[in-house]
Amino acid sequence: MITAERKPFEQIKAVTDQFENILVVGCNTCVAVCLTGGEREAELLTAQLRLQREKDGISGTVNTVTVLRQCENEFVDAVAAQADGKDLILSTACSIGPQLIAERIPKVRVAPAMNTNMLAVVKKHHVWSEYCVACGDCVIFSTGGICPIARCAKQLLNGPCGGSQGGHCEISPEVPCVWQLIYDKLAAFGLEGNLSRIDGPKNWSKSNSGGPRTMKKEGFEP
Amino acid sequence: MERELADSITRSSARPVPGDARLHPPCEVACPIHTSAQRYIQLVAEGDYGRALAVVRETNPLPQSIGRICAHPCEDSCRRGGVDEPIAICNLKRVASDGAKASGLGDEPPAVEFNTGRKVAIIGSGPSGLAAAHDLALMGVQPVIFEKQPEAGGFLRTGILNYRLPKNILDEDIDYIRGMGVEIRTGTGVGEEIKFEELASEYDAVLIAVGLSESRSLPIPGVDLPEVLLAVPFLEDVNAGRDIPELGKEIIVIGGGNVAIDAARSAKRIGGGKVTMVCLEADHEMPAHDWEIADAREEGIEMLCSQGPNAIVGEGKVEGLQVKKCESVFDEHGRFAPTFCETELSVITGDTVIVSIGQMSNLSFVPEAGPEVDERGILFFDREQCTTSRRGVFASGEVVTGPGAAVNALASGKKAAIAAARFLGVEAHYGHEPVAIGEVPSDVREQIKQAPRRRMPVRATGQRITDFEEVETGLGEVDGRCEASRCLLCGSGARYSQLKCISCLTCVRVCPYGAPWADKDGLGGIDADKCQACGICFTQCPAKAIDLTVVSEDDIERRIHVALSAETGMVEFGCWYSQSRVAPEAGFIALPCTSRLSTRLLLHAFEAGAEKVYVAVCSEDDDGRFVHGHRQTRTAVAEAQKALKEIGMEPELIELGLVPEKKCMKSA
Repeated sequence: MITAERKPFEQIKAVTDQFENILVVGCNTCVAVCLTGGEREAELLTAQLRLQREKDGISGTVNTVTVLRQCENEFVDAVAAQADGKDLILSTACSIGPQLIAERIPKVRVAPAMNTNMLAVVKKHHVWSEYCVACGDCVIFSTGGICPIARCAKQLLNGPCGGSQGGHCEISPEVPCVWQLIYDKLAAFGLEGNLSRIDGPKNWSKSNSGGPRTMKKEGFEP
Repeated sequence: MERELADSITRSSARPVPGDARLHPPCEVACPIHTSAQRYIQLVAEGDYGRALAVVRETNPLPQSIGRICAHPCEDSCRRGGVDEPIAICNLKRVASDGAKASGLGDEPPAVEFNTGRKVAIIGSGPSGLAAAHDLALMGVQPVIFEKQPEAGGFLRTGILNYRLPKNILDEDIDYIRGMGVEIRTGTGVGEEIKFEELASEYDAVLIAVGLSESRSLPIPGVDLPEVLLAVPFLEDVNAGRDIPELGKEIIVIGGGNVAIDAARSAKRIGGGKVTMVCLEADHEMPAHDWEIADAREEGIEMLCSQGPNAIVGEGKVEGLQVKKCESVFDEHGRFAPTFCETELSVITGDTVIVSIGQMSNLSFVPEAGPEVDERGILFFDREQCTTSRRGVFASGEVVTGPGAAVNALASGKKAAIAAARFLGVEAHYGHEPVAIGEVPSDVREQIKQAPRRRMPVRATGQRITDFEEVETGLGEVDGRCEASRCLLCGSGARYSQLKCISCLTCVRVCPYGAPWADKDGLGGIDADKCQACGICFTQCPAKAIDLTVVSEDDIERRIHVALSAETGMVEFGCWYSQSRVAPEAGFIALPCTSRLSTRLLLHAFEAGAEKVYVAVCSEDDDGRFVHGHRQTRTAVAEAQKALKEIGMEPELIELGLVPEKKCMKSA
C-alpha cells in the first residue's frame, strides 16, 4: 500500500487558519489501512481543527467526508457537492488525493494534510516498512525476491558496500543490510554463485527520473 | 496479533454477527413472553430504573409480581452460567420496579382508547386473564374481566402467599391494568352471578382463563377425616385471612410441587409445629423449583421422598399417614405411571393432612351449547389459534396449558389476546420466535472475568416463619447495579458493516477474544458468540466499519451532552463494573468499560463544552472487566492528550483516574 503520515498540526494549522469553511476529506483505502488517513483519522482531525479554531477565535465551519478512494475520478466527483461553500479542502489521502481533488473540484483551494512516504508492507500491527520505490524496472527475481533499490540506502545493484557490518547497514544497527539478506536468500537456494555475475546499468528512464509516467492498458480504448 | 484467515468466502452470509436482527440473547428467547431482559438489565446497571421498568412493561403486564415469583427459565439459559453463575435476572426485574417506584416513575398507566368498538369478556383475573386484558386494551379492544373471588389476581392472590408475593404489590400491578381502563368485576362468578350465555351474547368474544382453581383429592381411606384439608382452599383461606381450622402440631403435606411447598410453608407459619412433605418423587425429581425446596428446608420443613400415600389412619381423627415405598414415578416414555412396593409400608404420625397432589379447573359454568369439554373435564382447544370448539370463545392459561409458571400463563394470555383481536378484525400480529446466539466458546469463556452473583437478602428464618411478611427484601441499588453489570450483553457487541469494511485486518488483530474474522478473499465479520462488547475494535477501526449495538457511538455522544447539561463543565467516563466515581462532582457517563471510548469521542466532549474530562481506568496489572480493556483506555487517552497538545490545549484536561473501588468484583 501507499503509506502517508499526517503533517505536524502546526503546519496544517498554518494553512487552515487562513480559511473560513473547511472540508476535511478522508480516504478509505491505503491511508486507512495504514491507519493514518481513513474515516477515523479524518474525523479526529476535524475534531481537533474545530477545537483549535474555537480556542483561537476563528470563525467558520469544519466538516468531514470520507471517500473510498481519492484516486478515482468518480469517487472524488461524488463529494464535489459537499465542497460547495467551502474555502478549503483538506485531504488526508496520499498526495494523489489532494491533486485529483484540485483537478476535479477546481473552484476550491486544496491542501494536503499528509506527507506521502512510501510503498510499504505491514511488518506488524502499527509498523510499516518500505518495499518498493516504483522504479519501473523490477529486478527482484535475480535478488531473491528482495528489492535492493527500495531497501538499500545507496540503491546498489551489484552487492553490498563497505558499510555492511555484521549483517546491518551502517545507517542504523536496526536496519538490516539488504545485500546480506539477498545473499542469504540466494544461498538458501544454492544460487549465491549468481552474485558473481555483474549486471549492467539499470534503465532508470522507466522510473520517475525519466519524467512523469503514464500507463495504458494495451488493446483497450481509454 | 496476527491471526490465520478463514478458508471460505461464503461464510459471511451464514455466520451470525452481533447486532444481527435475527439473533437474540438466550434469556430473551427462553422467556415465554420474550422480555428483553438484556435491555432492562443494561438500564439497571446504569441506574435508569424508570426506563428499565418501561422495557419490562413492553412485554410484561405484571412486572412487580413476576419480578418476585417468576420461575425464570431465562436464568437457566443465561450464557453467564457457563462462566460462573447466571445473572439474577428475576431479581433484577424487581430492582427495576423497586427503583422506579422509589423515584416515583413508571406507575402512570398509558392512556388507552377503546377505539375498535369491540368488547371481550374474560373469565378469570389470574395472570393469563390479566395479560390478555392488558394487551387487548392496548389494541383498542375493551376487556371486561369477571372474577368470582372478591378480589382480582386469581391464583397469584389465592394461591401464592404474602411472604412470596405481598398483596399490596399484586394490588399495584392490578391497579395499573385497571388504570388502563380495564374493568374487573370481582365477586361475579360466571355460572353463578352471571350466565355464560349472557357473556356470549353481550360481548364480541369470550376468553376462558379460569386457571386450575380446585384441588384434586386422593382416593385413599381416611381422606374424609375432618383434619384432612385440600391445599387450594387452605391457601385461599390463609390468603384471605379467613379463619383456619386449628392446625395440629404435626402436619403432613402430601405432594412435592410448588403448591405443596406453599401449603407446607404456610402451615409452618400458622401451626408452628412440625411440617413434613411426603411425595412420590425422589429428591431430585421433585416438581417444585429447587429454590423453593431450599427455602422450605431452610424453614425446617422436612421432605419425605419416594413415598406414596396409602391411607390416612386414625379413628375419628387423623393420627397419621400410612405410606408405601414408591419405586418409580415415570415410565420409560416419561409419563406419570408410579409403581409401588406394596409390602414396604410405614406410618408417619401426624394430626393434620394437607393434600396437594394437583389441581383442576372448574368448568361447571360451561353451557350445553359449548364450548365442548371432554369426559375428563378438559376443554377442546387449538393451541395455535387459542380457540375452543365454539366460535368466538377462546381460552388461555392453565385451564388449557396445565400447571406451570405464572409467566407461562402470561404468555398464553398474550397469545390469546392476539388471537381474539384478529378474530375481531383488529390488526394484531404474532411475534416471531426469536433465535438465540450460540454458546460462549470455551476459549472465550476462560477469558471472562468471574464476578460473584449477588444473593437476594432474606429475613432470618427464625423471624420469618412466625409471620407472612415478605421473605426476600430486594437486592437494593448497589447490589442490583453490580449484578446487572455482570450481564455479558450477548449479541449486543460490535456491529460490523461489510459495506464499509476495507479488510485492513485491524479488528482481527486487536480483538482479545478472536471474534472478528476475515477470509482469504477479504470478506469478514464478527462472531456474535465470541464478541464480548469490549469496544476495542470499534475504537480502532480506521474506516469506521464497526459500531457497538449497546451503548453505541451515537449513544455516547448523546450522553456527553446530557452529562454536560448539569453545567459543571466536567464529565467522567466510568464503568458499570466499578460502580464508583473518580470525580463525583462531574457529570457521569456510565459505560460497560471505558475501553469503548474512541479518541474522537474524548475530543467530542470538549467540542460539546466540557472543560475537563475524567476517564476511569483499572490499574495496569488488572484487566478489569475486559481483556486489554485498560490498555485500550490508556491508548485512547494518550492519543487524545496528544491531540489536545497539538492544538495548544493542556493535555491534563483529560485525566485518567484509577477506579477507587471495584464494587462488583468483590465477593458478595
